This record gives sequence, C-alpha cells and structure tokens, in this order.
Amino acid sequence: MKRPRSIFMAALAVLVAVGFTMPAQPVSAQSSAALSIVPKKNYTIEPGKSVKDKLTIRNLDNNLPLELNLRVIDFTYTNDTGTPKLMLAEDAPQTTWSLKPFLTVPKTVTIPPKGSKTIEMSVSVPAKGGAGSYYSAIVYSAGSADGGNVGLSASGVTLVFASIPGKVKEDLKLEKLGAYMTDKSTKKADYVFMTTEEPQNIAYTLKNNGSVTEAPVGTITLKDLFGRERAINDVNPNSSLALIGQTRTYTACIKLASESVDFNGEKTEAKKCTPPGLWPGYYSVTADLFYGQNGNNTQEIVGKGSFWYLPLWFIIVLIVVLAVAAFYIRKLVLKIRNKMYGPQIKKSSRVRSTRK
Amino acid sequence: MKHVLVWFHSLVFSWRHMWSEEAFAILLVLFVFTTPVFAAMRLQERSLYMQNNRPGATTTYKVSFRYMSLQTVGSVDMLFCVDPIPYHPCVTPPGLDVSNAVLSDQSGETGYSILNQSTNHIVLTRPPNLISSNGSVYTLDGIVNPTDTDQAFSIRLRTHATPDATGAQIDFGSVRGQVTNGVVIETQVPPMLVFCVAQEVTENCGVTNETRYADMGQLDSESTLLAQSQMAVGTNASGGFAITANGTPMSAGTSVIDSPQVPTESIQGSNQFGLNLVANSEPSVGNDPEGIWANAIPSPDYSVSNRYKYVPGDVVAYSPNVSLMKKFTVSYIVNSSKDLRAGVYSTTITYIASGRF
Repeated sequence: MKRPRSIFMAALAVLVAVGFTMPAQPVSAQSSAALSIVPKKNYTIEPGKSVKDKLTIRNLDNNLPLELNLRVIDFTYTNDTGTPKLMLAEDAPQTTWSLKPFLTVPKTVTIPPKGSKTIEMSVSVPAKGGAGSYYSAIVYSAGSADGGNVGLSASGVTLVFASIPGKVKEDLKLEKLGAYMTDKSTKKADYVFMTTEEPQNIAYTLKNNGSVTEAPVGTITLKDLFGRERAINDVNPNSSLALIGQTRTYTACIKLASESVDFNGEKTEAKKCTPPGLWPGYYSVTADLFYGQNGNNTQEIVGKGSFWYLPLWFIIVLIVVLAVAAFYIRKLVLKIRNKMYGPQIKKSSRVRSTRK
Repeated sequence: MKHVLVWFHSLVFSWRHMWSEEAFAILLVLFVFTTPVFAAMRLQERSLYMQNNRPGATTTYKVSFRYMSLQTVGSVDMLFCVDPIPYHPCVTPPGLDVSNAVLSDQSGETGYSILNQSTNHIVLTRPPNLISSNGSVYTLDGIVNPTDTDQAFSIRLRTHATPDATGAQIDFGSVRGQVTNGVVIETQVPPMLVFCVAQEVTENCGVTNETRYADMGQLDSESTLLAQSQMAVGTNASGGFAITANGTPMSAGTSVIDSPQVPTESIQGSNQFGLNLVANSEPSVGNDPEGIWANAIPSPDYSVSNRYKYVPGDVVAYSPNVSLMKKFTVSYIVNSSKDLRAGVYSTTITYIASGRF
C-alpha cells in the first residue's frame, strides 16, 4: 500500500517541478474572435404575449472554434447620435426601460470554425406590462487571451427593442434645425450657420421627453433667396430612434443617392449624400415633422432655421466685382462732376497762378 | 400740366399735418380688417387607431381629431398618401385600398355619410352645419392595409364648408400609421454585423493570425514601448455600427499607468498609456484605415496622427449607415517615469462592436 503512495507522491513532485521550471509561454488564443451577428431586433408585443425568435451567429475563423458567453445588459444613449452606451458593470442598476426581465437567451454557445449556429431567444411581456418602449442589449463575449502586456478581446452586441402598444406619453421638442457638417477625420460634427463648404446635410435636434422611443417622419424644405424650393422627403432615412430622455440629432441628405452593394454575398441598399449643387447665398429651412404611435395622437412639429453658403470662390468673385464696380462708379462720378463743374484745378496750382 | 401739379401740391401741402399719426392709424386699422378672417387652422388631437396593423389585412380605422375653427362644416376630405405634407404630390401607399370602406360609427360632430371614395380617397359629407363639439371620432370598416412595412403612411385631412369637399379648406392636418409584420418587425433582412480582432486580420475577417496579445517589452523611462493590433468591421444594417474600447489602463496591482483624457503626444519619461487608429511618425507605429468604403471612420479623438488617448468606453470607430468591410490598425504606446513602481504592467482591451439605433 505504501509503494503506490510513494509513486504518486514522486509523480506529483515531478509535475510540480516541471511546472515551475518550464519557461512561461504566452498562451495563444483558444477561441476565435471573428464573428457575425444580428445588430438589431425590433418587436411589437401586446401585454400577456410572447415572441420566440432566432439569432444566427457565425464564426468566421478558419481554424478556431468560437466560444461565446451571452448576457443581457441595459443601455442608454452616449450623446446625440445613435451610439449606445452599454451598462457593462455587473452591478449596474436596472433601467426603467429595461427589457432584461422579459428577455431570455442561452448563457453560452460554441460554434465550430467557419460554422454558424442559430440560438433561440424569447421576449415575454407580462399581462400587466405597461405600454411603452423597452430595450436592452445581448452581449456576445469571446474569451480574452493570456500573455503579453496588452490582451485583446472581441465582443458583439445585438440591440433589442420591444414596443408594447397602448396609450403612451409622447413628447418631442425641436431644439435645433439647420445645415450640418458630419464628422470629418479631425473635425467633430456640428451645425453651421455660415459655411464656405457646400453643406450636404440638414439636421434637426429633438429632445424626447416622452416615455417611448420615437422615429419622426416628415419633410424639410430649403428655400434660397430667389424663392426656389428644394424638398427633402426622407428626413429620417435610417428610421433612427430618439431614446427615452435623449436629445437626438437626425441628419438628412439634401441630395440622397442609393447604391446597391454586395455585403458578404447579400445585396444591400446603401444610401449616401451627394453634392446637392447649391448656389451660394442665404437659405431658409422649414421642417414639418410628424410622430405618434398607433392609437395615439399624431403630433406635428414645425420649425424654421437658416444658413449662409458662401464658398471661397464666390467671396473672391464678389470682392473683385465690388472693386470693379467701385472703380467704375468713381470714374462715373468724376466724369459727371467734370461735366457739371468743369475740370478741377489743384489748389496749389491755383494759388501759384493767382500770384503770377 | 404745370398748373395741375401746382394745384395738387397746394392741396396735399394743406393736409401735411394729418399724414403722420392719423394716416398711420387708418392704415393699421385697414390691415387688421383686411387680414383674412378665415385662415385655415390645424386640426388638433389627431390620431389614427388601426384595429389590425398587419400588412394587407382588411380592418377598421378610427380617425380622431378636434375641429379648431367654429364654422360651418359640410365635408371632411381624407386622402391616403405616403407623405403627410398637404401640398406635396400624393403617392398612394402600396397595397392600400379604401374603395370599399364603410363609415360604421361617428361621434362628436356627426351626420356624415360617404359621398364618394376611391382607392386612396374618401369624402365624408353632411348638410353644412356649425361646429358645436370639439373631439370627433370616425370609424371606417373594410379598409385594406398598405403592404409596405418599411414606411409609414398618412391620411391628409381637410374640412370644407361645402358638402362635396370643394372650395376653400377650413382646417387641415395629417395622421400617421404604419403596418407591422404580425408581432415581429424586422427592420432589415438579413442584417449582419461582421467583426474580428487580432494582432493581424484580413479586411474580410476571413483570416487572422490567431494572436490576441502583444508583448511590449521592458518599461524604460527613456523609450516608448509600442504595439499594434487590427480589427475589421462591416455591416449592412442601415443604422451602421460603433466600436467601443473597454478595460482599465495598464496596471500592476494598484499601480496604474494613467491615460490621457484628450489626444496627447507621446512624452518619454511620463506615465502614459494611449492608443489611436491612424498612422503615426512620432513614434513610427500604426496604419491608416484600409478599405474603400468612406463612411466608416475612426472617432475624431482617435484619428489625430501622433496624438494618443484612452478613455474606457469611448467609441473609437463608427459608421452612421451601411458600411462594407473596413480594417483599422490600433496603435498602442506606453511611456513610464523613473519613479513608476516596479511590476508587470498589463491590460486587456475589449473591443465591443454594436449596431446603432
């Protein structure tokens, strides 16, 4: 009996020794970090009903399996754009619009290399679920790698929105309206009142004081100094939402171009702004926006704004024209004065001539 | 002629004291009385309730609104269009049909019947009568819903004094509705967000070098440690994507190497951990984003060459709409001061790619 125990102890000692004497090797990533997920889901569910749906996740890696942990978290808005602020902390308080209590997803999923898996998810709204908008996010976390100073980890997020129909509080206030310059490499997006660069976007900022998310529709009309009108009928081309409490800036292209592109084998319509060919000058902007959910009042917002588009070439031409006009007007004035009063004689020469 | 002018001048000159206040007052009074009294107003508390909002279903619509002008009204014009703006050309919502609609109920201002109707137009008529109640509801059965779930539709409402919806309008306004595909609404089919992270990745995420760490070497107050990683991303979702960088800055136990909160140049001898997503020359590290699609960009704070920043949770790259695959190279720099506590400094940066709303 003593012999097997001594053999076991010796083997354990060898294992420990090997463990301590082997050089520490950085561990290569054991899970893939290349995935394809569904970015957004929208549901309309009546109280007491539930929805069963499927989420398809793909592993794009050729060699490694994709091992994902799934959890549901809440989110809100980051700023006036559509970027979510994810509440990642384990102890983050539940929001009033949280879908967490109603949303069920599996905790883990493993997908073979170059494979895909469809997982079941469900949203169940209790019979006493109040009307309004509810939203949360499903986070798919791939494990992080050990070793080195900087470890990398990848996660994907699906935003889930559910609307429970009924009487709701809807209240959008228009805060800003005008020409808008989108993010450039080093310049942050903002409204412009006077610009030398041709504006491609008109934007409007709405504050959502209601209890539901809103996606306004309507028309924006641009009018130049000569009264020529240009209508923007697609004022919310991506059906973007103003979350509860959010001040959201919506941008609409003055001239919108659609293009069919191939994305991972699927035909997709991509919309983008193209130069609208505005003439230099002053423009007035009128927005006529509508919002309101089924069975609730249709609300209308009417707003006015303006901007100046003065390209550099126009300013230069204007200065040259003004200079030329000033020159000729002066010449004309002198000519008229000469005709009326005769050629003027310099004071000094007149004095000299009288002395003589 | 000269005689007439002299006479006119003498006449007007004698009235010269009247011109100022009196004439101005008369003009003002004229303006007040000549302003059209019957200016059209917007119908208030407008709403549309669709009993069944599935595309193509035959259902009941309840149109509610409050009359604003207390005048004689003989007809209500209901025009079903995609666009709610009354002066725009009307495009009939695809699939909609109100030609067999029946006015089954009415409350508030009553006495109406359907005068005429077509695929997208209904005229309600009654003997012209003065408005006496505010809120009114009209229930129309047998309306076939539009079939397009991607766009809302509107009913343009107008009230007229005449019984056949001709002549000047009294009040106007629009109500909106949208059909949804049963219980579930899919905004785009099939939406996808493709994302990968590694030390090296290809633009389509097809191949990565399967290494997800970077060893930056030994900290030294007289040199800057460098590393880089790559990520590729793309989406066909109309809302675009956003990538946030998450995780604590480099630390060893309780000792943390601070990160600049604003884009800052690399300064040797100071404690500094930062990153950006563009090519840099001081020190030489990183690459500009690769890919032809122009609307996926690094956030402005992370796209300044030779300036580094790291705030956990910041959006480092995004696209406001559909974006084909784009590859970003992330550059990391670490500087340390002489008095930095000894230890093994490390961090894990989690890049989270999400859709936008």
